[in-house]
Amino acid sequence: MEKFLLKNIENPNSADVNEYVKAGGYKNLSKALDMQPKDILEEVKKAGLRGRGGAGFPTGMKWSFAVADPKFPKYLLCNADEGEPGTFKDRPILEKNPHLLIEGMAISGYTLGSEYGYIYLRGEYPYAKDVLNKAIQQAYEKNYLGDNILGKGKRFHLAVYQGAGAYICGEETALIESIEGRKGQPRNKPPFPVNAGAWSMPTIVNNVETLSNLPYVLEIGGEAYSKIGSKDCPGPKLFSVSGCVEKPGVYELPMGTSLKDIIYKHAGGTRNGKKLKAVIPGGISTPVLPAENIDCAMDFVAMQKAGSMLGSGAVIVMDESVCMVKVTYRALKFFEHESCGKCVPCREGTEWLRKVLHRIENGQGREGDIELLTDVTWIMSGKTFCPLGDGAAGVVTGMLKYFRNEFEEHIKNGSCKFVS
Amino acid sequence: MFNETVLKEINDIRVKYPDRRSALLPSLYIAQREFGWLSHEAMLCVSKTLNLPEAEVRGTASFYAMFKNKPVGRHVIQLCTNVSCMILGAEKLVDFIGNKYGVQPGGISQDGRFSLVIMECIGACGTAPAMLVDTDFYDSLTEKRIEEILEGYK
Amino acid sequence: MITLTINDKEITLEKPVTVLEAAKQAGIKIPTLCYHEAVKPFGGCRLCVVEVERMPRLQTACTLTAADGMIVRTESETISRVRRGILEFLLINHPLDCPYCDKAGECELQDLVKKYGPTVGRFKEEKRRVPESHKDQILARNMERCVVCTRCVRMCNDVQGASAISIMGRAGYSRMEPFSSASFNCEYCGNCLTVCPVGAILSRLYIHSFRPWQVDREVETVCSYCGVGCSLVVQVRDESIKRVIPKIGFGLNKGLLCSRGRFGYEYINSPDRLKTPLVRKNGKLEESTWSEALTIIADKLTKIKKADGGSAIAGIASPRCSNEDNYVFQKFMRMACGTNNIDSISRTGFAAAQKYFEDVLGQGITANIIEGLKNSETILVLGGDPTAINPILGLSIREAARRGAKIIVLGNAKGLERFKTLQLVPEVFKEADLLDALLVEISHAKGVRGEISAIDKGIRMLSEKSAGNKNVQGFDELKNILMSSPSTSIVLGMDIVQRTDGHRALFAIAGLTYLLEARLYLLSEKPNEQGLIDAGCVPDMLPGGRPLSIHDFKRKFEDLWNGAIPEDDGMTLFEIIEGARGNKIKALYLMGENPVFNLPGKFYIKESLKALDFLVVQDIFLTETAEIADVVLPALGWTEKTGTYTNLERRIQLQKKAVEVSHGMEDWRIISEVSNKMGYRMDYAESKDIMDEMAKVSPLYRDLTYREISYGNCLWPYLGEPLRGEISEVPEASYVANQYKEDFYLSVEKPLYHSGTLSRRSPALLKMYPEPALKVGAKSAEKLGLNEGDRVQFFTQTGSREAAVSIDESIKDNRVYFSNNFQGDGVYSLMTCNIDKVTKAPGIEGCEVKIKKL
Ligand SMILES: Cc1cc2nc3c(=O)[nH]c(=O)nc-3n(C[C@H](O)[C@H](O)[C@H](O)COP(=O)(O)O)c2cc1C
Ligand code: SF4
Ligand code: FES
Repeated sequence: MEKFLLKNIENPNSADVNEYVKAGGYKNLSKALDMQPKDILEEVKKAGLRGRGGAGFPTGMKWSFAVADPKFPKYLLCNADEGEPGTFKDRPILEKNPHLLIEGMAISGYTLGSEYGYIYLRGEYPYAKDVLNKAIQQAYEKNYLGDNILGKGKRFHLAVYQGAGAYICGEETALIESIEGRKGQPRNKPPFPVNAGAWSMPTIVNNVETLSNLPYVLEIGGEAYSKIGSKDCPGPKLFSVSGCVEKPGVYELPMGTSLKDIIYKHAGGTRNGKKLKAVIPGGISTPVLPAENIDCAMDFVAMQKAGSMLGSGAVIVMDESVCMVKVTYRALKFFEHESCGKCVPCREGTEWLRKVLHRIENGQGREGDIELLTDVTWIMSGKTFCPLGDGAAGVVTGMLKYFRNEFEEHIKNGSCKFVS
Repeated sequence: MFNETVLKEINDIRVKYPDRRSALLPSLYIAQREFGWLSHEAMLCVSKTLNLPEAEVRGTASFYAMFKNKPVGRHVIQLCTNVSCMILGAEKLVDFIGNKYGVQPGGISQDGRFSLVIMECIGACGTAPAMLVDTDFYDSLTEKRIEEILEGYK
Repeated sequence: MITLTINDKEITLEKPVTVLEAAKQAGIKIPTLCYHEAVKPFGGCRLCVVEVERMPRLQTACTLTAADGMIVRTESETISRVRRGILEFLLINHPLDCPYCDKAGECELQDLVKKYGPTVGRFKEEKRRVPESHKDQILARNMERCVVCTRCVRMCNDVQGASAISIMGRAGYSRMEPFSSASFNCEYCGNCLTVCPVGAILSRLYIHSFRPWQVDREVETVCSYCGVGCSLVVQVRDESIKRVIPKIGFGLNKGLLCSRGRFGYEYINSPDRLKTPLVRKNGKLEESTWSEALTIIADKLTKIKKADGGSAIAGIASPRCSNEDNYVFQKFMRMACGTNNIDSISRTGFAAAQKYFEDVLGQGITANIIEGLKNSETILVLGGDPTAINPILGLSIREAARRGAKIIVLGNAKGLERFKTLQLVPEVFKEADLLDALLVEISHAKGVRGEISAIDKGIRMLSEKSAGNKNVQGFDELKNILMSSPSTSIVLGMDIVQRTDGHRALFAIAGLTYLLEARLYLLSEKPNEQGLIDAGCVPDMLPGGRPLSIHDFKRKFEDLWNGAIPEDDGMTLFEIIEGARGNKIKALYLMGENPVFNLPGKFYIKESLKALDFLVVQDIFLTETAEIADVVLPALGWTEKTGTYTNLERRIQLQKKAVEVSHGMEDWRIISEVSNKMGYRMDYAESKDIMDEMAKVSPLYRDLTYREISYGNCLWPYLGEPLRGEISEVPEASYVANQYKEDFYLSVEKPLYHSGTLSRRSPALLKMYPEPALKVGAKSAEKLGLNEGDRVQFFTQTGSREAAVSIDESIKDNRVYFSNNFQGDGVYSLMTCNIDKVTKAPGIEGCEVKIKKL
């Protein structure tokens, strides 16, 4: 498949505006400004574009809610928090193809009637911050941003906001709290951000990859876009592949490419040919799949059917040498650390789970621990304030579903056989 | 208090947002740069500059992992040990750095040269294990490579 | 109309509320922990989960808005299991130290666990440890008990507006802390104590001293500190106050309190309280008996009245005493002593301003309910910091600001620093010029209406002169805001009244109030300044605001009181003091007042009072003034007697007796005994009898009973009756403008934690602000090369003092502030005053001060 999102990134100067324009950049922005916003929205809907941040919400639908709200100003926030462990798909866009994102945001801003956009960039990407700031400056100079874009009388202003190390700020209402200068704790919904988000105004939060798809939708038209990949959720998709594979990295493939193909066809199969044991398909918050279950299409709908989630499309591959108890423990350590502390089940539950898992991994598991883990995750699942807590519980539940014997062995033997 | 240049820097940020509070995180970054870490004095400066309550400034700062609430070494090593990095041996690297440079996670080396912070995923899983030293990014780490890299940070 | 079903019960709602509230209305209780009605919903604890048909997940009732057709279940096996689980989670890191914890017995966590379990915990790992913080003198903090419901933080930020605490850290390391991580350094309202569901924040005033159920009684009463009059509950054990708590949603304060109201009660149990009457014998005050003391007073007053006439006697009433006390006092002065020389310390501000505004604009002009401030679009604040003088009123201003109202501050107001929209800092003591200019411009733009002849005439005269000075930064913005504001309130502190030309500013404010149809609020430092005026403790007015000069009124009272009221107009406060000095006044009767301490020119006042033939002081402490008295009588204090108080919005409220004490008598009782001895009968068995009489004679209290008053909603009883008649001229005095050239001027600090004689005997308040500091603005400090904590000596023409410097960024002009709330010589001892010829209030502006670093 021809690459669009990662087009040209091998070019060492790909982040430069001239290179971008040379490769056909910003012509879709120009095209967009000659269209009516409602027609662009129609194209987005026709394209069937769904959010790439994890939840897969139809972008056109989200936008139409915000457009319908009569309040102004409206804000467009780009979610570049990319915190989901295993995920590094937005980074190449941010670092190597920033003008694609800027063009996408300018088009989105025009479509939504929003004149102010902010890129919420995770603090862990200091290099991307420099690249983006430079690119934004160039875009202003070339009149792709500003008060009179391309002389067509439209305004759009863009700035980068740097996060400071909090995974929860990827959740859209926490992100809004954070950009308002507060702790990133999720807000109660409703009101939804599309009606009362940042600074109480209608706000659209979209992932980097989602927004970067806009120029493409305009270039080939919604109709043609909707024919790429899966029927329910079309378009190109970035997959980050990491762990025990030969060729880890980010792959731009049609949505719906099978998980098996991603690992074996594109990422070169398991490292050193070791036996595949399990795959976390969509970032650490998505339930694990055992090696036998990887023959499934990677899209939002099919992955749900397969008992997991597409999430951010972050494939973590684990071979036979990896201890699942340890992975579970490490994942929970992450969730415990990243819990925002607002709600009880997540704040206390992750800590409890982590402590028990730590014990089991270190050979101090007790009889009844598995039942205890099961019960604690039951109390958490579906009762936390936001999906972070659910994700944490889901990891444990998923691991226990397929690898219960490994936990039992740890407890029975009082040790971990994977310790080298 | 901050000097004029810093105040101007903060003001330039402030005007980009509809509300002065938004300048809080950027100002904390600036204060951290100026003071090395977010001491009470540093946070007081931020509070005064933005006319925000002191406790809220500190409360907000303490929520974010990248704001340091205690003094740090001349260089901060931020090493990821999350799953993808762990699978590829990041934990051993923690031990290695600990033994070689005398700095434990959350701590600071005796000579004040390094602080070590364990990070949750820094988005380099494809080239794991990875770390940030100050704001420089390094990946595909091995013990040897770490040694070479850290040579450059005196 | 919304109809929903909760536990098979159909509920109809008028307006959308949360499911939690809907359930409450239907008498269904859903357990909660992070929810509290005084703060915004949070949704963190997840205990209030309910099942809603057609919704996949359990929902939190505290955040879910009830919708038409919803079918809700609040109890089920699953729900119980979740609640038990959540509680188990909360207990995993809890120290389970209930036997030692003061909260036991009123702990919401304890109650919930008792109801929903679990009975055993399965958590076997190590608990998180957070050492208890002993670093604050008022608030004890134990973060192991904290459930991170954030109620305290939401209270502190969103309601109190102090924003002194925050949740520090995140996840399991979350804990509530003040900025310093040690001492709170906050407004010490203690409202966090009210909302903390567990024993994580406790008051050191009662820690480890009793169990919540070990109280003999709880009495609902009204605070004794300022003119707001907050409702509160005193808990009594062994006839002493153990704790003051508010009742959420109750009273005009709706369950909020300030530092003084909550923590300032200890003075009442002070060992310094006067216990027996004292009589001066051979130059020394000696313990005496009631009968001896009262006889001496009656004899002496009778003698002076006979020899020099009633006009040689004067009385000073007290805004700390009840309506009943004050009513009896003025009746005694007028009928038994035969004098109209009755005034009070309220003359220094509130009474002077009140009288002026009513003269110009008509009676009841300041009868605006505090609650209404919240709905104003624009609030103009001048002459003081409402959040310190009348803290709960201040909260309404902060709430309005949060809602988007424009808050304009003229001069310095610390508590509004983060809430103001616009601040104007006129040249020192030149507010009147600015206000004149504002009035002129607004009258040009709006036109004069021609309704009230006196004020119209005054405004026209001013505008013809094109008076005033608009060269103050922000003037135009101020004008524009006021011109376009649909509803404006003006909040006036007494700082601006206490000027030699105070009436000038008052006229301009009256004019603005009139032109903008604004609401006017006078800040009132003492609890009964309004009531004292209404009771007739002013020289020229009888109870109910009836002018003495109108003959019909006078005659009516003479009939009711059975005797003759003297003809003359009577003297005001400073005239009385001058009179004492000049031997025109021979005897002075002081009820609950301490002029030697509470008035500018301490030494002058003391000398003047010493010149008296006879000085009687009735008080609860041996005050500076009592020390020079001839007879001192021990009175009863707050919670020791029942009586009514009228707050600054004219709400008449009942202060109830809560404790039984053996020493002292009610003020009114002492007075009536003296009166009886002097031959003017006063037969009141209890304070209620006095109110019954007042209800008969005063149009303000017509037909009012204690029962009605106890509901707390008695205000504005004017019934549209003109009480005073219209005046046709605005009183004006020729005034020579002062030159203010000095570098620094001394002003009176009105700190949040203190209030006159009472607070200096309240240990808790003294801990919050232990010794007076010279408050200096940042610019002045720079000019003087002063740092926080430096010691300085400062001099005025009257004297000098030493103190530490405290830099206060909110002071924008070249004034420095010193308080008058501590033992020893306060700011008043360094001041002299001139009297405003119209309002008769003291002018204490322009007190030059030289400051020397030590
Ligand atoms: C705990 C949590 C973390 C999240 N982190 C991210 C993130 O790092 N990046 C992202 O784009 N979306 C993240 N999301 C999803 C966002 O909430 C939101 O759905 C997304 O930004 C919407 O954009 P999209 O519609 O373009 O996908 C996260 C959600 C949750 C609950
Ligand atoms: S589940 Fe609760 S504690 Fe966890 S991140 Fe979401 S709101 Fe915060
Ligand atoms: S009371 Fe509803 S979540 Fe706490």
